[in-house]
Amino acid sequence: MTTVTKSGPHTIRAVIALRWPSVVTIALAGVVGLVGFTWPFLASAEFVRSHGNDTPWLFAGLLGLLCLVCLAEVSSGRLDPKTIAVLGVAAAAGGGMRVLSAGTAGLEPLFFVIIVAGRVLGPGVGFVSGALALLTGALLTGGVGPWLPYQMLCAGGVGLGAALLPVRAGSRAERWLLAGYALVTGLLFGLVMNLWFWPFLGVGAQSAMSFVPGAPVAENVQHYALFYLATSLGWDLPRGVLNAILVLAAGPALLRVFRRASRRAAFGVPARFEAAEHDPTTRQVAS
Amino acid sequence: MAGRRERLLHPAAWWLWGLGLATAASRTMNPALLLLVIGVCVLLVSERRDPAAPNPLRAFLVLGGVIIVLRVLITIVLGNGVYGDTILFTLPRIPLPEWAAGVRLGGPVALEPILYAVYDSLRLTAILACVGAANALASPRRMLRHLPATLYDVGTAVVVGLTFAPRLLTDARAVHKARALRGHDGHGPREVARLAVPVLETAFERSLGLAASMESRGYGRLVTSTRASRRLATALALTGLTGVLAGLYGLLDASVGGALGLPLLLAGVLLAGASLIVGASKEERTGHHRDPWSWAETATVCAGGVPAAVLVLGSVQGWDGILAPQTATLPPVPLTAVLAIVVAASPAFFTPRPRPQVDA
Repeated sequence: MTTVTKSGPHTIRAVIALRWPSVVTIALAGVVGLVGFTWPFLASAEFVRSHGNDTPWLFAGLLGLLCLVCLAEVSSGRLDPKTIAVLGVAAAAGGGMRVLSAGTAGLEPLFFVIIVAGRVLGPGVGFVSGALALLTGALLTGGVGPWLPYQMLCAGGVGLGAALLPVRAGSRAERWLLAGYALVTGLLFGLVMNLWFWPFLGVGAQSAMSFVPGAPVAENVQHYALFYLATSLGWDLPRGVLNAILVLAAGPALLRVFRRASRRAAFGVPARFEAAEHDPTTRQVAS
Repeated sequence: MAGRRERLLHPAAWWLWGLGLATAASRTMNPALLLLVIGVCVLLVSERRDPAAPNPLRAFLVLGGVIIVLRVLITIVLGNGVYGDTILFTLPRIPLPEWAAGVRLGGPVALEPILYAVYDSLRLTAILACVGAANALASPRRMLRHLPATLYDVGTAVVVGLTFAPRLLTDARAVHKARALRGHDGHGPREVARLAVPVLETAFERSLGLAASMESRGYGRLVTSTRASRRLATALALTGLTGVLAGLYGLLDASVGGALGLPLLLAGVLLAGASLIVGASKEERTGHHRDPWSWAETATVCAGGVPAAVLVLGSVQGWDGILAPQTATLPPVPLTAVLAIVVAASPAFFTPRPRPQVDA
């Protein structure tokens, strides 16, 4: 069910153990997601001409389904109430951050929670809590839209990646590596998330910043780079920097909070019920 | 209709209705039809909004407006490749260095490219309005109840998250106030760090307490998923995902086998969807309050389906006025399409009214 690896004072428990079917499912969904984001560079001109404006919607539906399949595959039959409780807190923290930052679009300190949760509780929880944090945020603000599946998959990936960073838990290097990771993912998230709506900015029309169906990859990449520099970098850079600073300032404390909670929850310790010796002094109390 | 019992419509009905209207909007570029779609959304939301849910339609419309403005600005400065004769004004042209060859900054600005930009982004705005209306009419939270049994645990985690998030904010406010009273009125990341520790400690305390009480009451052992059914679900999911991937490859690269692409994709989607249902087949959950599905729900879904069907047909057959010409004339308005979109407004009159929220 769950694996417990004891290594020194900082015990990392992979709360939801990823077995090979889950790994393959997430990998396949990741590849479909990659295609969903990068299809403007891959698709042939005739495909775009016949389906161009529908493709982002097609992928939104497809990725929504894949997110659900991944969540089911990772979690089904393996979540005990304690894991649900911890996931709930991660989702609540992420969603709450989303509500707080609703006024400052783009400056989302949400990733910082996902990164810490994934780091402490392992890749399985990292993926699920990343996806659920975005979902909770969207449900709280009423912003469920076609962008949600893309965001859920990306955020799940961020949490998963944070767990897989090769650094010893509790070391000094961990703090700096996580800060760097927060910066990079903050930038990458924007870079990737823009791609889903970029084709809307003018299919069939040519401009220096818009998507040209069927053009060579280099040309579209150049156009996208211009678009990114002109519109999105101004939002993504502050977000990445904010998350990195938060990890540096609050990361160690939060890591301790999460590690303490996971120790107290005693994941992986099976609960056993034994028939009590019959004792006439204790009366049976009806629940 | 005044005597009808007040109740909320099934959330899936509203979302399917929104999906239908969004499909209709995605088929046309006629500004009159698109504005009509937005009008229908606004009417429905003002008549039948879920009083317990936030109303995000305004935010969605603002987002749409921002997209239109952005598109027009980009078109004015950079052009969008649509040729136009009607020159409105001329911007000074800025010469660019060698590496940005093909980029045009400034120059003459014609009406036609701007109209194209407005119409195209108006379509996106109309689709966003449909999604926003669905959000306001039926809070997506209520859909959590209708998750398949395989996702029951994940759904519970989301419900826990949704319940704890407002408390988390209250806690954060309390801690912040307490710190302010002690003379720490800092802002910035360091302050967030100091806030985060007590707030999250409390949240964990609370939720682990909840977990302990859930466990002691034998919670969560009702969804029976046998090893065999889980294996079957995994096999279906993996096959389905492989099918989806193969189908996408076929669709995107027509030279390999475009004919196989779509069927493979559909088969993959069906298999992956089936894996969600098969995983926990014996469902023995009981619900406190099940949303009923009556004729009003069916009629609402149909009202959304009519414009979708008519406009898809219209765009396939190339009716006049489905794709408006980007000229400085009023676009023709196809009567059939207008009637079809007006049908989508009918749920504002025949569905039961939501119960107004009692002020607590």
